[in-house]
Amino acid sequence: MTAPVSTVRALTCPNCGGTIALRAAGSTISIVCEHCGTTLDATSPDLAPIAQATTAMQRPPIALGTRGDIGGVLWEVVGYVERTDTYVSWSEYLLFNPYDGYAFLVDDGRRFSLGVLLDRLPDHTDGSITVDGLRFERFGSRYGAWVTFVVGEFYWRVSVQEHVEITDFVRPGTMLSCEENADERTWTQLRLLDFGEAETAFGIPKRRKSYGGTPAPHEPSPYGDSMKEALIIGVVAAITLIAILLMGSRTTMLDTASLAVPLNGTTTTQVIGPVDLPDRMAGVRIAARADRIDNSWIDLDYSLVNRATQQSFDAYATADQYHGVSGGESWREGDSTPNVQLSSIPAGKYDLVVEATGHRWTSIAAAAPDFGSSDTVTIPLTITISRGGIFMGNLVLALVALLCWPVIIVLLHGGFEKRRRAPVTEDDE
Amino acid sequence: MIDANCPSCGAAVHFRTPALPVKICDYCRTTLVRSGDVLQAMGKVAEVPEDVSPLQIGTRGSDGGIGFELIGRIRMRWSGGGWNEWLALFNDGSTGWLSEAMGRFMLLRAVAHDGLRTDAVRRVRDDETIPIGSEATIDGVAYRVNDVKDATFVGSEGELPFSTPADTPIRSVDLMAPGGECASIQKDRGEVSVYAGRYVTLSDIAASNLRAFEGWPTPRFAA
Repeated sequence: MTAPVSTVRALTCPNCGGTIALRAAGSTISIVCEHCGTTLDATSPDLAPIAQATTAMQRPPIALGTRGDIGGVLWEVVGYVERTDTYVSWSEYLLFNPYDGYAFLVDDGRRFSLGVLLDRLPDHTDGSITVDGLRFERFGSRYGAWVTFVVGEFYWRVSVQEHVEITDFVRPGTMLSCEENADERTWTQLRLLDFGEAETAFGIPKRRKSYGGTPAPHEPSPYGDSMKEALIIGVVAAITLIAILLMGSRTTMLDTASLAVPLNGTTTTQVIGPVDLPDRMAGVRIAARADRIDNSWIDLDYSLVNRATQQSFDAYATADQYHGVSGGESWREGDSTPNVQLSSIPAGKYDLVVEATGHRWTSIAAAAPDFGSSDTVTIPLTITISRGGIFMGNLVLALVALLCWPVIIVLLHGGFEKRRRAPVTEDDE
Repeated sequence: MIDANCPSCGAAVHFRTPALPVKICDYCRTTLVRSGDVLQAMGKVAEVPEDVSPLQIGTRGSDGGIGFELIGRIRMRWSGGGWNEWLALFNDGSTGWLSEAMGRFMLLRAVAHDGLRTDAVRRVRDDETIPIGSEATIDGVAYRVNDVKDATFVGSEGELPFSTPADTPIRSVDLMAPGGECASIQKDRGEVSVYAGRYVTLSDIAASNLRAFEGWPTPRFAA
């Protein structure tokens, strides 16, 4: 083993005389002096100046020479570039490791991504591309990008105003960026770093974790995973709920009785029962049926009375049926088979007291047909009492409660995706 | 194994394999060309400029279960920079190239002449222009041209299959494929050679005996 050698070589800027570091000798092609901004040709023995600084010097937020460990690889910052597509600006750090080569740390001002040059050709299919079996969707149209500031050393010839055309392809968490100029086309694969990952690695202040504003094109929706979970749980819970209710909705007929209701306004009372309700809390359904009712109505007052406690549960229904002709159109309305449901009836032995009062309806426009002695007309009415039954109102309430969270998270996810796509949907319009 | 003395400076010269006719004298940097038992001095070559390549003569690795050692190196230069071609001598006596540019490595082997009937090779031979992105099929793999460079030899060291006189014009065309395969077509002094292989990392080839750099931890695979 030979003694370790330093990767850093101290050079003197021929323009300003300042000491500058060469950190990747052999690969570095151009150096931009961090003191005076002069671009130097690293391939010439005397560091021939190529271009004078055209922009004011500034210090990159992560200083040249800073080292940081990302994913188990130690990287050293050797170059810094600021670029713009004229709408937004971003910065890129060139990172170097003598064994792993180069990487890019891309900072969009909100989040960092780590990029490496792709060592294979992507497969094109329509608007999307595939790399190693992973599909990337095209994100917007091709756009120009210009260098606005540069400092440090690079393995290519850098210059301010350097222009490339970029096309981006994304999948959640990863972006493939294709940069083209007249001479070459390079593909960079960018991995979105976790919040705080780059800041911790390179020792700069941590940024606030926030999903507001415009997300990065390859930023996975923070609601994506919980949305899938919420939807699966919501659907399973809804199906379970409906299944339980359907199973519990089997009704058992307890008793039935018929009575004749006169249509003269007098009240007929009938007691049906006793019926047994063995369940601690039962639903009771009282169905009335008056098939022959016509242009008349029957008011039905029900009282379900507990034989032991005399506790009474009351309900009310109307059986009615009307028809006539108005404006040349014949019409028919009413419900001859009204149902009522009583819920949460305690267990016990009950009587159902039915009070039925029948009325004849007389329209002014269409006089009722003469039934002769109207006082004696009666309508047969059947009352059926059964146990069990489904309470639609409760079901709907439960479903709304269950689906509340999935709906909220779907809306959040949709909002995030809309903001993520906003820069390119505007382009397309 | 052939041992001789440099006809120029008298230093001991050691050839690892009879398959390679050229050796750069480690002491006086004279190009020695061996023909039978006769060593002929062919002029001096420049020393390879110091760089931060992790590779060195003596670096070992393995590909497809066959170990290799780097025994020679050529430094190339073109208008956009430079790169290293490291000659790998495999344990089975065959040779290949570990091409190092921009911190990336291609492990390449010469392709037999049956694979050369592609248009890109003909264009390189006839000095025609080759557009970036043009297709070329070599040994059944569909590649695309990703760069074309006009280069020269800067310096070299160790054992080599050919001499590397300074200022020799060389055309070098690099190709890539979707499966990670890569290829290189080179025209040197009128002769076209084709190399094919793939992009590798130092970890992929289990590189060892790498150069040590101050302040940089030795990679896990090489430790």
